[in-house]
Amino acid sequence: MIDYVTKVIPGKMANGFKNFTNNEWFFPIHFPGHPNVPGALQLEALAQMLTVAITTLPGNKGRVTHAISHTVRFKREILPGEKLEIETKVLSWKRGLCKGLGKGTVAGQVACEAEMTITIPEILDKYIPKK
Amino acid sequence: MKEKTSDKYDKVFMKSFKIKKDKLKKLKYNSISQWDSVGHMSMIGSLEEAFDITLEMDDIIDFSSYEFGKKILKKYKIKI
Repeated sequence: MIDYVTKVIPGKMANGFKNFTNNEWFFPIHFPGHPNVPGALQLEALAQMLTVAITTLPGNKGRVTHAISHTVRFKREILPGEKLEIETKVLSWKRGLCKGLGKGTVAGQVACEAEMTITIPEILDKYIPKK
Repeated sequence: MKEKTSDKYDKVFMKSFKIKKDKLKKLKYNSISQWDSVGHMSMIGSLEEAFDITLEMDDIIDFSSYEFGKKILKKYKIKI
């Protein structure tokens, strides 16, 4: 759900964008006569960008990430042909657990915002009680 | 008035796992759904913040119950 990453500070933030062209697979079904980007995919774009901020840290390249919990608010429809600018910020990153914020804007208007928690299970699992 | 160390300890668990004080004594890792791997890491982070400490990896792994956690914190000169 990301076309380009334009700026990354590993462990701190990642920005980029996604262009929603007219031929996206979901527009014909979401919805016929009124195509717009599904909220789940907007959230996915924010979460993927936050993942970029973490997987660019030394030693994390290629590691699998999982979503833990997301709280999202949608404020504006995103229509075919529009560009979603994505900004994410890492609030905390410790022992495989990342809490962060994401914001998506279209033409200067906020379309979606989310508080997200993601994990790299491979790291997190090293710290959990074994008994 | 300065907050008692034991109250501070209890508050971390009560807030992290959204449980009442009377449930703390028997609380163990995975004994409630909130204390899973993610809950564990959040609770450890809150403890570190509350007591201004950094727990060693082995201590984080060994921190498997409310009661045993008190013993672990002794290593960091925190008596509960």
